[in-house]
Amino acid sequence: MLVHLQGPWSPLFGRLTLASIPYSNPIIIFAFVFTVIAGLAAVIPVLYFRKVGYIFREWICSVDHKKIGVMYIILGLVMMFRGFVDGMMIRTQQVTADGPTSPHFLEAQHGYLPPSHFDQIYSSHGTLMILFAATPILTGLGNIIVPLQIGARDMAFPRMNAISLWLTVMGAMLVMASLFIGDFSDAGWVGLTPLTELPYSPSVGVDYWMWAIQISSIGTTLNAINIITTIIGMRAPGMRWDRLPIFTWTTLSTSVIGLTAFPVLGVALALLGADRYLGTHFYTAGMGGNLMLYTDLFWIWGHPEVYFLVLPAFGVLSEVIPTFSEKPLFGYITMVAATFAIAGISWSVWLHHFFTMGAGPMVNTFFSVATMIVGIPTGVKVFNWIFTMYRGRITYTTPMLWAVAAILLLLVGGITGVMLANPAINYTVHNSVFVIAHFHCMVLLIVFAAFAAVIYWWPKVFGFMLDEANGKRFFWTFCLATSTVFTAMFMLGFEGETRRLDYLYDPHWMPMLIVEEVGIALYCLAVFYFFKMLYVSIRDRDKNVCGPDPWGTARTLEWLTHTPVPFYNFAVTPQVHELDELTWRRERNCETVMPDHYEPVHMPNNSMVPIIIGILAFGFGFGMVWRIWWMAGGGLAGIIAVIIITSFFPDRGYTITPEQMRELEAEHLRRRVAVSTASVIPLAEQRLV
Amino acid sequence: MFNGLRWAPLARWAVLLPLLALGGCGEYRLFHPVGPVANAEFHYTILNTGVMMLIIVPTTILTMVFALRYRKSRAAAYDPSFSHSLSLELAMWGVPLVIVVILTFCTYSSVFLVNPADPLSLDNQADPGAVAAPLDVDVITTDWQWIFVYPAQRIATIDDLVVPAGRTVRFELTSATVTNDFYIPQVAPMIDVMPGMRTQDAFRVNRPGNYEGFSADFSGAGFSWMQFATRIVSPDDFSAWVKRTQSAPDHLNMARFMQIAQPTINQGAKPLYFSAVDPNLFAEVFTAIQQGQVFPVPEDIDTKTSLSNPTAVQSGEAKPKS
Repeated sequence: MLVHLQGPWSPLFGRLTLASIPYSNPIIIFAFVFTVIAGLAAVIPVLYFRKVGYIFREWICSVDHKKIGVMYIILGLVMMFRGFVDGMMIRTQQVTADGPTSPHFLEAQHGYLPPSHFDQIYSSHGTLMILFAATPILTGLGNIIVPLQIGARDMAFPRMNAISLWLTVMGAMLVMASLFIGDFSDAGWVGLTPLTELPYSPSVGVDYWMWAIQISSIGTTLNAINIITTIIGMRAPGMRWDRLPIFTWTTLSTSVIGLTAFPVLGVALALLGADRYLGTHFYTAGMGGNLMLYTDLFWIWGHPEVYFLVLPAFGVLSEVIPTFSEKPLFGYITMVAATFAIAGISWSVWLHHFFTMGAGPMVNTFFSVATMIVGIPTGVKVFNWIFTMYRGRITYTTPMLWAVAAILLLLVGGITGVMLANPAINYTVHNSVFVIAHFHCMVLLIVFAAFAAVIYWWPKVFGFMLDEANGKRFFWTFCLATSTVFTAMFMLGFEGETRRLDYLYDPHWMPMLIVEEVGIALYCLAVFYFFKMLYVSIRDRDKNVCGPDPWGTARTLEWLTHTPVPFYNFAVTPQVHELDELTWRRERNCETVMPDHYEPVHMPNNSMVPIIIGILAFGFGFGMVWRIWWMAGGGLAGIIAVIIITSFFPDRGYTITPEQMRELEAEHLRRRVAVSTASVIPLAEQRLV
Repeated sequence: MFNGLRWAPLARWAVLLPLLALGGCGEYRLFHPVGPVANAEFHYTILNTGVMMLIIVPTTILTMVFALRYRKSRAAAYDPSFSHSLSLELAMWGVPLVIVVILTFCTYSSVFLVNPADPLSLDNQADPGAVAAPLDVDVITTDWQWIFVYPAQRIATIDDLVVPAGRTVRFELTSATVTNDFYIPQVAPMIDVMPGMRTQDAFRVNRPGNYEGFSADFSGAGFSWMQFATRIVSPDDFSAWVKRTQSAPDHLNMARFMQIAQPTINQGAKPLYFSAVDPNLFAEVFTAIQQGQVFPVPEDIDTKTSLSNPTAVQSGEAKPKS
């Protein structure tokens, strides 16, 4: 029943042989050395300060939504760094491989990367940036912020939350493993069928890509269930739907997309797996298979996925802009309506990813119009942000700079997107780099919003501000780099350059390719300033310690509790009175309230189960990739066994007694007074509101 | 505003530097369309962009003006209560809606003109080419070459498309292996070339000229070398070329096709010519693929990091270009 494979196979090691390890490739050796050094740089301090137990108990086994969110964001930033290195290599290859007389280095005939290596790099660039950088960062933000914004103590299912995280991490680990053991897919991040079928991609690359996405997408689906349940069921008293902060609204809409779209991806990939492992013919060209089936299924997930990413980014902008404009968000109700309009229409536009596949004019017109309709609620959002700034008092902190730049980038991405929505235009630029520049504008808008969010909420999570001077240098270099690279790329699209070219036959493209390379150098400078910002901020953290509301003009509930947020979030579940609860309390001078008594607080226990399930899932994925059946079967059986066994030992959690809470709170309040004596009102004068 | 960074105002203008790229050199092919289909597409590119500028330009200006004007340091009017306005919000939904309605009209009127299967823009009776009988060309892609079959003339070429000026050319396209994308910038819009499926495309160019065609959709290790010369020649030159090619020594039928379709990276797009071509080759290939014929890529081409030993191009005598 299993398909016939090219190459050797053994029961113990499957397809894995010593020859699968590309130890002769200098680029991969360098990547390996770099990864090992970076890994050691993270591990050695932990060993030196004897923190292994702490890291394991308090982070790896944690079910605290804030720590899980932080780990999500760390994963996202690390993967974004690797994705950036991939992007740098793509640009450098193209600028060195333009024209028949271009130079050649290493084993390549043009440039320095042979085709299959180049193809793997752009495939992993796309896969990493979308699924293992943008998605985890935004999921992490939702994890940290949503429970705080609605006044909850944790997510609805804390342990499932940790399982989601570790499944995502293990997906990313599979992509990393493919760098050093075997190879990654060279069929694009979208998995072009029938190129992903065994006859045309006989190596393990496509299997790595498929299982990495499959495992992490289960994590994303579970997370969506968790977020939806949390928002519906765990809002603080008084947190009516019309008082729900806008970021929570967007996270809710995005989770609805996640819950409904990711299973489609799972099915699409499972059918591909059946083709590759069992020899079925779902997506083959012959034997009754149909490659359009995959293309449809993939983009039925793929387009909602774009909005899955962009809606929380819009939510971030809708939080940052009012805070630094010192005004409530303009048109809250239209904003929520626009959010759900976008989420709804996102389901009916997928065919615009393949107008050129030969659908009839009426079908193309339908999807063209549906796509342009998305522009209406998006436009509403832009106008709402603009009128939030109107008659405001804008302070240009780093998050606000990122937010305003994101609006401008959205306008560029929007106009090019609506251009591409017209089939007549689409036919001329469909697979050109014009499209690449367009969706990079959209994805970078998400990245801009993510940087805004990380800098905006950083003090809330870690208790000290990030360095503004280096943050602004980071912002300006990043903006300059973005406009340099992608203006040139739009131009190259009009010059007729198409995507995914390892060798570029037209020397006329050279000037713009050089401009792009200059932009990449600017991005390197931006990365340097990013690390410098982190370094300086952490070095001077004692000088930059901050209180509950470090920006001074924040509006929502998460800024009400202590900074950094205690593990129980709120000592007493707050009563919500207004949409902008913190502003309401600030106006009434009751930001810091001392309850007359505490009630017992029920908290979940940390657990080893999530990381064990994660490791077993990695074993399952790795075993499937290399067709090591004992490992794959063992991993799957292990996961099922762990789930069954843990169900016999239900975790009842633990309770913080009022006395313990009094001590914990006293400690936090002491620190709070030390930070900013001015903003704290003597406890005796306060009433519970 | 910028924490007293002295270079910050300069940096703001530096963001505009990439616009200099607009004046740079380069060949903006898509701005020089050739033939009715490409012209219609370029026309709608300009029209659509223009319509959108009606809303994008004011919005951009408004964003910049508000973002700069309402800085705290400028002490402009401050009104924290302004968070809702029915008329403004109706306009916010209404104005984009109007723009979308206009753009919908543009889409609807353009989509039939450029429909790859049957572009109405080619039916313009004022154009003398519209009345001439169209030339049929069957396009088959392999890993990683283009085979152009002229069924009526019983000739075929690899990686060399020669068509007469002033006459509509109709393409039927299919792939023997994986999906490619037929693309000749300025001349022919993109259309996917898929295995086990058939797509159609058409164009007409009234003046002779040389263009570059290539695959626009990734198809594997040899993808970057999937170019083909596109030569639009005068009708007389075309007849002469057909005659010459009809005497090519290499013939093409299904058996020969099976050899040619083995994975081949044709660097430099070296053309091959065939005579006595089976006019039903397209249908035969199409049927064979639907019945499960595959041309597997050896694992070492797929994974090896070097192209030092690409499969040799099949022998065949190249004809001199007309």
